Amino acid sequence: MTAMTKPLPQTQSVSEKSKGMPLWKQITMMTWRNLVVIRRTPASVLPGLMISVFFLFIYEASLSGAANFFLAGKSYLAFILPVSIISASLSGSGLAGQYIVRDIENGYFDKLLLTPISRIALLSGPVFAGAIMLAIQTALILTVAVLMGLESATGLGGILAVLGFGLLLGTGFAGFGVSVALLTGSAAATSGASFAFFPLTFLTATFVPINLLEGWLKTAAEWNPITYVLQATRSILLDGWNWEYIGQGLIACAILGLVPFFIALWALRQRTSRK
Amino acid sequence: MSSRQIIVENLKKRYEGDFYAVNDVSFLVNAGEIFGFLGPNGAGKSTTVTMLTTLALPTSGKAHVGGYDIITQAQQVRRIAGVALQDIGLDPVMKSMELLVTQGQLFGMSRMDAIKRAKELLELVRLSEFTDRPVGKYSGGMRRRLDLAMALVHKPEILFLDEPTTGLDPASRRDVWSEVRRLNVQEGMTIFLTTQYLEEADELADRIAIINAGKIAVEGQPAELKAALGAESINVTFGDNATVERARNALVDMVDRAQIDRKTLRLYLQNAAYAIPTVVNKLNELQLQPLSLTLTQPTLDDVFLQVTGQRFEEETEDEAQTEAIA
Repeated sequence: MTAMTKPLPQTQSVSEKSKGMPLWKQITMMTWRNLVVIRRTPASVLPGLMISVFFLFIYEASLSGAANFFLAGKSYLAFILPVSIISASLSGSGLAGQYIVRDIENGYFDKLLLTPISRIALLSGPVFAGAIMLAIQTALILTVAVLMGLESATGLGGILAVLGFGLLLGTGFAGFGVSVALLTGSAAATSGASFAFFPLTFLTATFVPINLLEGWLKTAAEWNPITYVLQATRSILLDGWNWEYIGQGLIACAILGLVPFFIALWALRQRTSRK
Repeated sequence: MSSRQIIVENLKKRYEGDFYAVNDVSFLVNAGEIFGFLGPNGAGKSTTVTMLTTLALPTSGKAHVGGYDIITQAQQVRRIAGVALQDIGLDPVMKSMELLVTQGQLFGMSRMDAIKRAKELLELVRLSEFTDRPVGKYSGGMRRRLDLAMALVHKPEILFLDEPTTGLDPASRRDVWSEVRRLNVQEGMTIFLTTQYLEEADELADRIAIINAGKIAVEGQPAELKAALGAESINVTFGDNATVERARNALVDMVDRAQIDRKTLRLYLQNAAYAIPTVVNKLNELQLQPLSLTLTQPTLDDVFLQVTGQRFEEETEDEAQTEAIA
């Protein structure tokens, strides 16, 4: 047999000796990689940002006069800004799914599966990268709002708290896009999924306070967790720190985040389990 | 240190609709050997590779890669195996260094070591000058070479190459071949290579298995198989069809099989070289003037034809002509 006459030098594969990379490092690396991808494909983040700022301008311009009767002289900009932030969070939450589907389509996902990478790092890299993008996006919207004359009842602390809410909501919600990406491997389905929850921002006290809503819309709004996020962020900007509202808002974020998170974990198992 | 062998026993993979992509395949790849897994499109080559490299589970059967069970010891298999799949999985906006360093770190190297290794490999696959360009802008050959480098980052002991030269121009193909040979000889790597090019298997592999419709049709050393199953032929080309016909009628009784291929008459027989004078004399006698006369060594194509009853789709008849007599 020819093979037996060949020299067999003792090269041991590097990885058989090593323990592999700690999980936090894998996650950092995958997050960094996704940020590199985002930086080179800015088209994926720009539309969401533009739309949020556009809505802010339109709502403020068209509704601020009419809203005086329930705001009693308070700023409509502060009232409508949370809507803009939340819709940015929901559309921005689709980013992580888009990055995953991109990797599935170009085959890099399989390449990573052939390494000893942790499955959790595969999932959290894009989610964290999406969260960082969302933070930048939300910060930009808040800056625009401040330039438009936003006055926060709780000062800078309140504005940062609103940013925190946007981030929490968007990151938690990213699980939906990620799940669709992992289950379908289809870019079309994934971008469609981020629109599926678009109505959530309107089946709530979007333009007027909840006590002014009537009939089915009021019922829908009461059941919609977004209502409580709106209520918390609005109270921060308009009235001051209302811990009851803030608590309800956080619970709503937890519900909107944990459910998708577990679906995403299950979807990841579906995608990476060998069949 | 792994055993660097691949042992496959009764491996089966069933897809929906009771279709067996791989149907009871068994073979052994020795340590330090280049094993060619040859077959037409859809024969089950890639399915076998995805199972052996832990991306898919077999429906039944067993396999050990480097002594590790592909079903229960997938992590160990991933650590000692390097894999270049048929579909190159490279993110097009990333650059070569980023991809290689990430790969190295995921296999447990420090960042410094991973950078050093990446530079080494870029040198090896001659891509050092193209580190600024995103890989989406690489040519097919460059992408293939980078993909090979990716598979080598962690110094694997067993290398899986799934159709490494499909879609490459002849020059790039030769590059890949010489690299595969070098890895095998200098690094002692066991190499499992799938291909649909007979020429490639013939050129590189110590041993081959031909897979067809999910089953192994034949296995052995290329030379051995050609000798056992292939046939040498004398090919005589004439100026017109009528002459070819006449020549065949005159010579058909002397040979095992005679076949007309446009204006060329192919005469298949054992020890063809010895028969050349007789053929030439006979043609002289009938005053049939050939334009050319060549002798063809048996090819793997013949082997394939013999064992599967069908021809390979590829253009293979061009090479392997050893001698030309006008």
